[in-house]
Amino acid sequence: MTPAPLVLDGLVVGAILFALGLVGILARRNLIVMFLCAELMLQGISVSLVSWSRHHGDWGGHVLVIFVLTVAACEAAVALVFVLQAFARTGRLDAAAWQSLRESNLPRTVDHELPAVDTVPPTFPRLTPAGVEPAVDEDALLEREHV
Amino acid sequence: MQDIASPTLLVLVPLLPLVAAILTVALGRVLGPRAHLPALAGIAASLAIAIVLLQGVAREQAKGGTGHDHAAKPVEMVTTLWQWAAIGDAAASGDTASAAKAFSIPVALRLDPLTATLFVIITGVGLLVVIYSIGYMHGDPGYPRFFALVATFVFSMTMLVAASNFLLVYVFWEAVGACSYLLIGFWFAKPDAAKAAKKAFLVNRVGDFGLAVATFLLWMTYGTLNFHDTLAADGSTVPGILGAARLGDAAGYVGGAVGTAICLLLLVAACGKSAQVPLHVWLPDAMEGPTPASSLIHAATMVTAGIYLVARTAPLFMAAPGALTLVSIVGATTALMAALIGTVQNDLKRVLAYSTISQLGYMFASLGTGTLLGFTAAIFHLVTHAFFKALLFMGAGSVMHSMGGVIDMRRFGGLRRIMPITAATFLVGALALAGVAPFAGFFSKDEILAALHSRGWPAAHGEHHDAVPSLGGHAGGTDPTGMAVLRDTTALGTPSWVRPAAHRRAPDAISIPSGPLDGLNTPGTWRLLFWMSLVTAGLTAFYTFRAVFMTFTGPTRVPDEAGHHAHESPPVMTVPLVVLAVASAVSGWLLFRTHALASFLASTPSFTAPAVSATATPPAFHWDLAIQGTLAAVVGIVVAALGHLGRRSDGPQMERFLGPLGTLFANRFFFDQIYAAFVVRPLEVIATLAALIDRRVIDGLVDLVARLPLGLGTVVRHLQSGLVQRYALAGVIGTLLIVLALVARAMG
Repeated sequence: MTPAPLVLDGLVVGAILFALGLVGILARRNLIVMFLCAELMLQGISVSLVSWSRHHGDWGGHVLVIFVLTVAACEAAVALVFVLQAFARTGRLDAAAWQSLRESNLPRTVDHELPAVDTVPPTFPRLTPAGVEPAVDEDALLEREHV
Repeated sequence: MQDIASPTLLVLVPLLPLVAAILTVALGRVLGPRAHLPALAGIAASLAIAIVLLQGVAREQAKGGTGHDHAAKPVEMVTTLWQWAAIGDAAASGDTASAAKAFSIPVALRLDPLTATLFVIITGVGLLVVIYSIGYMHGDPGYPRFFALVATFVFSMTMLVAASNFLLVYVFWEAVGACSYLLIGFWFAKPDAAKAAKKAFLVNRVGDFGLAVATFLLWMTYGTLNFHDTLAADGSTVPGILGAARLGDAAGYVGGAVGTAICLLLLVAACGKSAQVPLHVWLPDAMEGPTPASSLIHAATMVTAGIYLVARTAPLFMAAPGALTLVSIVGATTALMAALIGTVQNDLKRVLAYSTISQLGYMFASLGTGTLLGFTAAIFHLVTHAFFKALLFMGAGSVMHSMGGVIDMRRFGGLRRIMPITAATFLVGALALAGVAPFAGFFSKDEILAALHSRGWPAAHGEHHDAVPSLGGHAGGTDPTGMAVLRDTTALGTPSWVRPAAHRRAPDAISIPSGPLDGLNTPGTWRLLFWMSLVTAGLTAFYTFRAVFMTFTGPTRVPDEAGHHAHESPPVMTVPLVVLAVASAVSGWLLFRTHALASFLASTPSFTAPAVSATATPPAFHWDLAIQGTLAAVVGIVVAALGHLGRRSDGPQMERFLGPLGTLFANRFFFDQIYAAFVVRPLEVIATLAALIDRRVIDGLVDLVARLPLGLGTVVRHLQSGLVQRYALAGVIGTLLIVLALVARAMG
């Protein structure tokens, strides 16, 4: 009886799926992509469960996976509603848009700008500036009621 | 003796004003301008019940069949509502010493002649004040609050005079003080009023402290705080401090140092509440309150609580003659000093305030004589004073009401043309206060002078006494001689006309213990006190009529504040004035002529103590003293007339003849300044220091403790970046660490 390679394959696939999901969730800021990555991690775990279950000839793992699928479906519904609401609130899908939830006396984390491609800025005809541009609070902008 | 009246009626007298106060508080906003109704109804009903009770006591007294007999039997009824505290089971311990010390505080109300008399005065004047206030307080934003406070005050005051226990007395002593505080500071937005209320409260604390310590000492000495006899758990009688068992026992009261200390502490308490030197400074400032409140609390009733306390504890004072003499000295000094200050005051209400202090001093001087005449004369003066001083205050309030709140006598004059009823009733009150026959003050003042005179010149009064048939003779021959027994015990401070009476022991059993301060008790002292009182009578007449002349005579002038509507007050205010004017005019003559009050009061348990009742003298009208008193009053009035009658009140004043003395009087003998320098200033320094330590040291420590978690928080605060990915990373790292740890453990 040499089913070990099959188990190993299943586990490797599961691990790859899990790792992809983990990297995605840590690296991506789009809420929907992050959500998908979380699903990916779940499925990775599910694959390894199924593999172990099959390896041991025990239905427990299968039952658990069905259970996970059910829970994941519910979770998907809740998470998507949250994403929609978050989008309605900020007009963005960027998770960093919610960084105003940080401790109030910490500085705002600013994205590193990409280096300027064109070092010579194009010149455009300009009107004489009139008035003073109002200072815009980035956090306040993000918290507008409607898009 | 328990069927004088229904206990329910006795309870209703304080209860109805209390209910009225609660109703006023609860329904004040609903009732609005009719917020006086509960207080009016409650106090009126209380007055009616008080009169019924008075009749009941009088009937019971008549049943005793003593009549003009000097050995009046005690008349009292005590009803115990519930046990406030009962500590120590006498029966269980079986030890007599501790049985006597079983601590029980019954909420007991008593009814006796003294209480019944004061009930009628408190509720009667209270009712008139409520009626008057309907007009005076009209439109005030605090209208319901005022009536709630007045009703609460009437409740507290009636409880104070009805309480049959020193602890209850203390409770309601504080309660009337609190009502006084709240009414002085009624217009609390006015800084002066708030200050005056605080001052009254703080000065009264000194007196209250005296009463508290006196209560402790009484408990230590007598093992009970009850006035009446009570039953212990084993059925034995615990003799109350003023109960029949102790009163009949000539040696029942402790003299010497302890007795004197108790009495001096009681005197301190009385000085605080009744505004006697040196604790008198709060009363003149208390005039910041609404005038009806001044009339009720700071003239007629609350300030007489000190008189009541000393009169109630008369047997205790009789055992400490030195303290008793000091009562008179304090009283006469206060009377003279306040009268002198009163002569240069320009504020009408302040004149009356000093007059109140002065008249209370009279009552104290009378109490201090330690004779039955002295005690009853003090209560007599209390009654008549309640009438005419309430009248004068309400008259001053009427003037103030019409003058747009101006009370400085130099700013108005000739008001008799504008407000004739106020002027006429004020004049009646002034005559009564000045002691002009036949107005009320004349008779009560005459009795007080007689009481003082009898101590200064005992021989002159001994003659009166010899004319009375001995009581011992026809009452069963307990006194073998059946004759007056004159004892020469002046060295011990007893009056030399101590007589035996049927219901008590042989005369030699009455021993007035000697104690500290006996050196004060010489005829010379009493003569000095008598002359001081006589001078005070003249000064009283002077300042009273100075006020009358300045306010009501001369060219008619009205301050700008009054506007164009200076007018007589509405009937709701003038009717109480007229009622009180009638009372001030006739009450003295009626009560003196029939000798009703004095013989009635003689049945008060406190006054039936052998030491007190032995000093009874037959009712007499002292022509010589009446002439001297009237002469003093007439001189005072004439001087006032010379200086002020028909003149502009802002013109040159009499005090320009006084020179430096005028400065002394105008500054009230510098009492306030002395207190400011020696009491207030050091306390302020200590308070500042304490505040500094509190803010810098104690608060600093607390702040330090508060900063500790804050500092720790700063360290971990940076983790809360608001970036989800960082949280996720932290989670991943944490999980990895746990996994690594588990693996490391599994590997061994």
